Amino acid sequence: MRGRKRAVVGALLILIGAFWWFSRPVPLSEEDLPDHLPDPANGERIFHAGGCASCHAAPGAESRDRDVLSGGLALDSPYGVFSVPNISPGMKHGIGDWEPLDFANAMLRGISPAGRHYFPSFPYTSYARMSISDVLDLKAFLDTLPASDQENAPHQMVFPFGFRRALGIWKRLYLDQNFVMAIDQEDALLERGRYLVEGPGHCGACHTPRNRVGAPRLDQWLSGAPVMEGEGRVPDITAEGLADWSEGDIGFYLETGMDPDFDVVGGDMVKVQENMARLPAEDRQAIAAYLKRAGTGAH
Amino acid sequence: MKNPVIVLMIALLGIPFAVAGEDPIQQREELMEETRDALKPLGAMAKGERDFDAEVVNASFAVWKRAGAQFGDLFPEGSESGGGTEAKSTIWTDREGFDRALAEFNEAVDKAMAAQPGSVDELKPVLGGVTKTCKGCHDGYRVKDD
Repeated sequence: MRGRKRAVVGALLILIGAFWWFSRPVPLSEEDLPDHLPDPANGERIFHAGGCASCHAAPGAESRDRDVLSGGLALDSPYGVFSVPNISPGMKHGIGDWEPLDFANAMLRGISPAGRHYFPSFPYTSYARMSISDVLDLKAFLDTLPASDQENAPHQMVFPFGFRRALGIWKRLYLDQNFVMAIDQEDALLERGRYLVEGPGHCGACHTPRNRVGAPRLDQWLSGAPVMEGEGRVPDITAEGLADWSEGDIGFYLETGMDPDFDVVGGDMVKVQENMARLPAEDRQAIAAYLKRAGTGAH
Repeated sequence: MKNPVIVLMIALLGIPFAVAGEDPIQQREELMEETRDALKPLGAMAKGERDFDAEVVNASFAVWKRAGAQFGDLFPEGSESGGGTEAKSTIWTDREGFDRALAEFNEAVDKAMAAQPGSVDELKPVLGGVTKTCKGCHDGYRVKDD
């Protein structure tokens, strides 16, 4: 009897130990950072490609106030209500005191400076595909924006999703820095488009359906999904979904908000489009070139 | 509707509209369609698909001016659903915000008319000013389901 009890306890301990081991945060170290002089101008380009202000500006902020990334927006989801944090250079509640390595770990590994897992509402599953130098440039640009000392509100998670440690297992399953779509020949425009769409642009966060634990279904990459926060559907933006759009149409839409029927963009895409309008034209062309091929080579 | 003559005629004559007792959902959808059709030739100019034509531009502005004066009355209580409406419930829960978004459209159209763009390069920013207010309303008060 006693032997059996011991065996059960032992097995449990091994299970817990295995869980703890596999769920541990695996951060980058200083040696992983390249010798790189940060370029805030490139950081600004990445900032618009990523649309950081769309979530991190104060809700309802207009024009210049959108540069104050004080957070505070509530994102409703089946897993709970996420409260968007302050990423202004504020020293107390912002990220002004973060080292470049802290920022790289947040963006590329989804790990906080305290070594905890972030919830994937922060779309690091896409940012993981970014180059470290772009990430460092972005931090340099964020440091030029106004500081805010707005305190962060806690997330309100639905049980059992509040258990952060388990995200370590989630990451082992779903955090993949490899690109989704294969590009056969060397095509600089297409490569740039893939980088922008799958990396900083995190288009898949809304346009790709998610599985039951909130991970993107790569087999249905960019093929459209229900709106997570309410009514309506996010459209299919694969080559099939955009069959009636030319690459020029996509570029014009991202620049002006007008689709080929001259309907004007709505919903959450408004902010995305306005960010994309601030990119150089060649970046919008690159995105268009990629989307017109998307869905054909995805795994 | 791509024909500028038709667009012009609509603008000059005005469409007999708002027949008493007509379905407001159908009315507003038709009016929205006209609004969009008026944007088509101007968008095509901005896109470089057709030549600049001041008359066509003015005709479209006139359509918007008229539409902007009518939209406010076409979302009465009781027209929240049905008829394939894309109207979002927020129109009725946040009427003030909706009215403000509509007022911004009307202001932008007035500004566009006053600007009298004489070339495509002058048209582009004016058009951007108007479409910004389209987005302002489509952002929070329309549901897209396709």
